[in-house]
Amino acid sequence: MLDISSLASVALIFAITFLITFISTPLIGKVMRRHGIIGKDVHKPSEIKLPEMCGLAILVGLTIGTICSVFFFPGATLETTAFMGTVLIAGGIGVVDDLRPLSARIKPLLTAIACLPILLLGTYDPRPTIPLLGTVRLTIVYPFLIPVAIAVTSNGVNMMDVLNGSMSGTVGIISIAVTAILLISGDVNSARLGAGLVAAVLAFHYFSRYPAKVFSGDTGTLSVGAALAALAILGKIETVMIVALIPHIMNAFYGLSSVGRLYERREIRQRPTRLLSDGTIDASAERSAPVTLTRIILATGPMREPEIVRGMMFLTLISTVLAVLTYGITLAGRV
Amino acid sequence: MKRLLPLAGIEVFVWSVLLLSTLLISRLAFTINLGNSSILYRIATETIRVLVSGIIVLIWLFVWKKVTDFYFWRAIARSRSTAQKSSER
Repeated sequence: MLDISSLASVALIFAITFLITFISTPLIGKVMRRHGIIGKDVHKPSEIKLPEMCGLAILVGLTIGTICSVFFFPGATLETTAFMGTVLIAGGIGVVDDLRPLSARIKPLLTAIACLPILLLGTYDPRPTIPLLGTVRLTIVYPFLIPVAIAVTSNGVNMMDVLNGSMSGTVGIISIAVTAILLISGDVNSARLGAGLVAAVLAFHYFSRYPAKVFSGDTGTLSVGAALAALAILGKIETVMIVALIPHIMNAFYGLSSVGRLYERREIRQRPTRLLSDGTIDASAERSAPVTLTRIILATGPMREPEIVRGMMFLTLISTVLAVLTYGITLAGRV
Repeated sequence: MKRLLPLAGIEVFVWSVLLLSTLLISRLAFTINLGNSSILYRIATETIRVLVSGIIVLIWLFVWKKVTDFYFWRAIARSRSTAQKSSER
């Protein structure tokens, strides 16, 4: 049952992770700028260059928050280690990709490896609960689905990082709802991990929202995506997470199906959007351009960058409400 | 946000179809049972269950894509004709 001490433990991990991420983001930004690790903010009329790879701050915040969680509340060390191992491997792949870009085919395969801590430590239950279906036994198949889940989620979140604050804003909404669900379900350890993710993403959002001062890079996006997948597996809320991630799935699925293969943004010649002279962004009318979520949002006419991000956050809010409803339906089915 | 209501509608539709799909999976895929006598039968049962579920999920994705494609290209055509009319004026 949910009690004051559980809530206090969740709040403590939130506070530590938020503080560490908030302090380290500008510091890492300065280091990246000094080393020339910068990227162009393409949706601005003027030439603006921002430090890349600042998602390292999310990784630093999450790692310290998780270590504190193990230190103060040693009840579920195995699950916490599996969570952090997955996030660190995905983050490491992100670091490699930021420094030396990986091909579109190699990256999903490498991110799938991030599932190893969960598989090796056996911190999964191969009996997921599905709404209207109840608990299903997938003893043999479930371990094969874990790498797929990690790869899809981390790359889906990565593909959403196209505008200032679009990744941190949308993941922030999802992780708040997921943490609340985990708290209500009584899984306090997973809720603490979720609270760490909420804190890291929200602290980072302060710097990455429009007009951004830092870029997350694949270091941040892949680790955050892997963290969401790991939370879903450890907290046994797989279906809830799929529903919450509908905008991310929509973005990745349409992008891939319209291009017909795995692709990297830099490989695409026909851009899905174009920057107009007044600073607004419009959807491309080219048939061969990828159909991304940004392009779908802009189908009715041009918008300013922060308006598009607010639109993405609105759609994520809707999917999160549907995810909470899904959890309710699943609970009702159990009774 | 008013411009995003059709997309929110698509999300609700996709979610409803997802729930319908899980119902279909429970009625079709999870009734398949080749027996529990050996590990081979169990592997075969789970593989067939996953395959049938996979086909249902693919149909779900296909429906999702068709609905969004219909909305997207219609919206693009409308916004382009509106822009053209206003520039002619």
